[in-house]
Amino acid sequence: MATASGPHDAAKSSQSTNASSRSLSDDQFSYDDAIVRMFVGATILWAVVATLAGVIVAALLVMPSLSGGLEWLSFGRLRPVHTNAAIFAFAGNAIFAAVYYSTQRLCKARMWSDSLSRIHFWGWQLIIVSAAVSFPLGITQGREYAELEWPIDIAIAVIWLFVFGGNFLMTLVNRRERHMYVAIWFYIATIVTVAVLHVFNNLVVPAGWFKGYSVYAGVQDAFMQWWYGHNAVAFFLTTPFLGLMYYFLPKAAGRPVFSYRLSIIHFWSLVFIYIWAGPHHLHYTALPEWASTLGMLFSLMLWMPSWGGMINGLLTLRGAWHKVAADPVLKFFVVGITFYGMSTFEGPLLSIKAVNALSHYTDWTIAHVHSGALGWNGFMSFGMLYWLLPRLFQTKIWSEKLVSWHFWTGTMGILFYIVPIYAAGLMQGLMWRAMDDTGHLAYPDFIETTQSIVPLWWIRVAAGVLYMSGTLMLMVNAIMTWTKRPPVYEVPVYSAPPLASEYHDDAKPGTSSLEGAPVLEVGKKVDLFARMGWHRKWERLPIKFTVLVTAAVIIATLFELIPTFLIRSNVPTIATVQPYTPLELAGRHIYVSEGCYNCHSQMIRPMVAETKRYGEYSKPGEFIYDRPFQWGSRRIGPDLAREGGKQSSFWHWTHFENPELVSPGSVMPAFDHLLTSELNFEAIEPHVRAAAMLGAPYTEEEITGSADLARAQALKIAGDVVAQGGPANKQDVQAIALIAYLQRIGTDLFRTDEPEEAGATETEPAETEPAEAEVAVMVP
Amino acid sequence: MSDTRNPDGPEQEPQKTDHSYDGIEEYDNPLPGWWKWIFLGSIAFSPLYLMYFHGGASGRSVEDIYNVALADNTRLQFAEIGELEPDADTIVEYMHKPSWVKVGQSVFRTNCISCHGREGEGQVGPNLTDQVYKNVKKIEDIAMVINNGAGGGAMPKWSNRLHPNEVVLVSAYVASLRGQDLPSARPAEGNKIAEWPEMKEEDKVEDESDSENPKSEEASE
Repeated sequence: MATASGPHDAAKSSQSTNASSRSLSDDQFSYDDAIVRMFVGATILWAVVATLAGVIVAALLVMPSLSGGLEWLSFGRLRPVHTNAAIFAFAGNAIFAAVYYSTQRLCKARMWSDSLSRIHFWGWQLIIVSAAVSFPLGITQGREYAELEWPIDIAIAVIWLFVFGGNFLMTLVNRRERHMYVAIWFYIATIVTVAVLHVFNNLVVPAGWFKGYSVYAGVQDAFMQWWYGHNAVAFFLTTPFLGLMYYFLPKAAGRPVFSYRLSIIHFWSLVFIYIWAGPHHLHYTALPEWASTLGMLFSLMLWMPSWGGMINGLLTLRGAWHKVAADPVLKFFVVGITFYGMSTFEGPLLSIKAVNALSHYTDWTIAHVHSGALGWNGFMSFGMLYWLLPRLFQTKIWSEKLVSWHFWTGTMGILFYIVPIYAAGLMQGLMWRAMDDTGHLAYPDFIETTQSIVPLWWIRVAAGVLYMSGTLMLMVNAIMTWTKRPPVYEVPVYSAPPLASEYHDDAKPGTSSLEGAPVLEVGKKVDLFARMGWHRKWERLPIKFTVLVTAAVIIATLFELIPTFLIRSNVPTIATVQPYTPLELAGRHIYVSEGCYNCHSQMIRPMVAETKRYGEYSKPGEFIYDRPFQWGSRRIGPDLAREGGKQSSFWHWTHFENPELVSPGSVMPAFDHLLTSELNFEAIEPHVRAAAMLGAPYTEEEITGSADLARAQALKIAGDVVAQGGPANKQDVQAIALIAYLQRIGTDLFRTDEPEEAGATETEPAETEPAEAEVAVMVP
Repeated sequence: MSDTRNPDGPEQEPQKTDHSYDGIEEYDNPLPGWWKWIFLGSIAFSPLYLMYFHGGASGRSVEDIYNVALADNTRLQFAEIGELEPDADTIVEYMHKPSWVKVGQSVFRTNCISCHGREGEGQVGPNLTDQVYKNVKKIEDIAMVINNGAGGGAMPKWSNRLHPNEVVLVSAYVASLRGQDLPSARPAEGNKIAEWPEMKEEDKVEDESDSENPKSEEASE
């Protein structure tokens, strides 16, 4: 693609908005549209990849054998590929395209550094590719939407904050437009908050290049992760897209924005309130109840701030609805904003505890996020892309008709996706809680509840194909439009005066329209305040604005974070809870790598239907050695919080070999590679050391002797498998470690203090770590 | 922000601000009234909710509500029968009460079918529908195996997972499976043992009254 370099002779194109006031002191400048073209191309490519990955994981759920037994292609490993591709690759590149195109024009300034722009582009694509490689290999943190391991996380922090953020902020500083438009506010909030979220959620102690252990454990890790997870939705999928909407919608409609004052109020309330809402992902869990309540209440308060954006979008179209009927760009925007309104109504609804009790762990959540992702993020991006393509490639769009086709297949795809998946969520949620009149579960067999929704999952596959085919139409249209580009792109040169170092507000001095009316002075002051003159001043000060946004986000965070971390009673100590043995740690690592958390929760909520099905509900103190927490968010399979001791070790062995053998109708894939892959016992030590560094009371002998301890325990479990009818001599394979972990989960709560059945390999009950009240007794 | 005095008539063109960014202008419309009031309402609701659930009144926490629900559920299940002993008489007695066997079946379907199969025909665990048994010689051994486990952990122990009554009832259900001889993936394992004991006379009388109980009929539909 031709790089934009402004030839002097292009100065004749004087589209400058203030051509009349041009003087000799005006700056001449052009915009860097080449970088926008690059991001647009990447957006389209990743749109196809992300939706294709979605179709594949959807198909894996209805046909688990589709992976052909290849461990890299199981649902647990591929689901993060789909979610990360959709969020960070597709939506991410769409955001960057929007920011780079609109910021330059809204600031009347070229991006500060073309080099930084390109480092940003290639750095980001490299990060995406490394994600797409590392997840199938099982390299993952095991925390949703923060799966990437620490070296990639560092790359993200650098690229996002310093390269993208630095370039953006310097562009603001060097702008030639006195005031920052509302789109810019949303971009600022996006950049600052995503950086804060990303850095503080991903603090880890490395155990090698491909594994880091979260500095938070259990309840606190869950809190941090959903503070991050929820605000990734807020500040990666909402605020930048609102910024996008505020620029491209009025542009496409040729109408003024409905209300400046609404922009201000909904912007600040959104930024301040969103950050509190994370705990609504953890209702009825071991998270302290007050935090969960705050999460719910702030989610309810978030309803109107979210709808403020929807109103400002839809009402901007007042007087332009006749255009909507004719212009596919506006059609995409209208559907996108409508889905935004629907999902931001549904969000608060789902955050109500009583509703969440039913919806949590079901497909309802999946339908909810897809109405947001496919409707809001997808359609807003598509609308923007179709608006940009002819402008960037300086020719007509190749096929108007194909755009229309994309619109309709996309819309149908969304509807055929969400309607059956809503139904599936409701059905399964109701089946899980249904009791017969004798007080017993009406559907005690978990697989029965799964099987009842599998037909609906098939519809989802078809809907996914429909939506994906839309992205293919987009790709074809973009490529064909690109082939018709002019030999050399025209690069208009604009001129505008640089900002004077001083600014005098020449607006009329603030007078209330109540002046002279028989009201109190204070009433006039309130009226004047409501006209938002004070905010106008902030819009001239990008640094101050950035600081204020940061403060809003961080203060709100600290209100929840500090008590969660400092109040001991939030996580009451349970004396019998002890650290994992080295072999169990290795097994847990396998559990995380295989992405088991994508289908299995480890969090039993205090509800009768749930404790009857899975056992005693989970207590906060049970998770103090869980790094990362593995509470999960969707029960495609049953909860595993009390799995320890529930099945025989041989049962697990058989179940990994082929779930159908013991659970007919199961949608779990086989994990037979675990039955043959050797476990590297020598590689366990760094994991134990990292856990010890984070406070788990291991002695130095346990750390250095972890390989031997693990071997001894593996021998015992392999012996159990043989005694129970399984194959012999399997003590060296990975499945044994995973079984060791599974047999441990949730058992500490019931451990009686006498050492359990002194096994053949009772090494030393290691004594004392002085600081800790409890002694680390390694019970293999 | 009580800025409602500008009646926003449909025919009236609203006032614009003097802003213009890359050609984008902004109206100076006030906040829609309904929007403002719902927003303020949601803010006002919060302290009330917080005070109600976190004001210190007992019985409103998730844990308290759960404990009440659990007690209700236990009463619903077992109020009629009290605490059952896992002995031969009790198991035989409940083996002949269809409505309670059905409860035992529900417990079985929740916890046991992953190894013993949906109908007890056996998968990883033994077939429970034939005439031979591995760890059971007398009927009360069924409850013992369930409580304590067997086969070196092949059969896990359930005493800390199931209510004592559930153990008795699922034992009764398992005992009732005997002799169905369902086709199984597993070979017959264990030894043939004596028939289950007959029910005692006084229990039989009770059983008849039980079967007249309309509730139990409804339950066994």
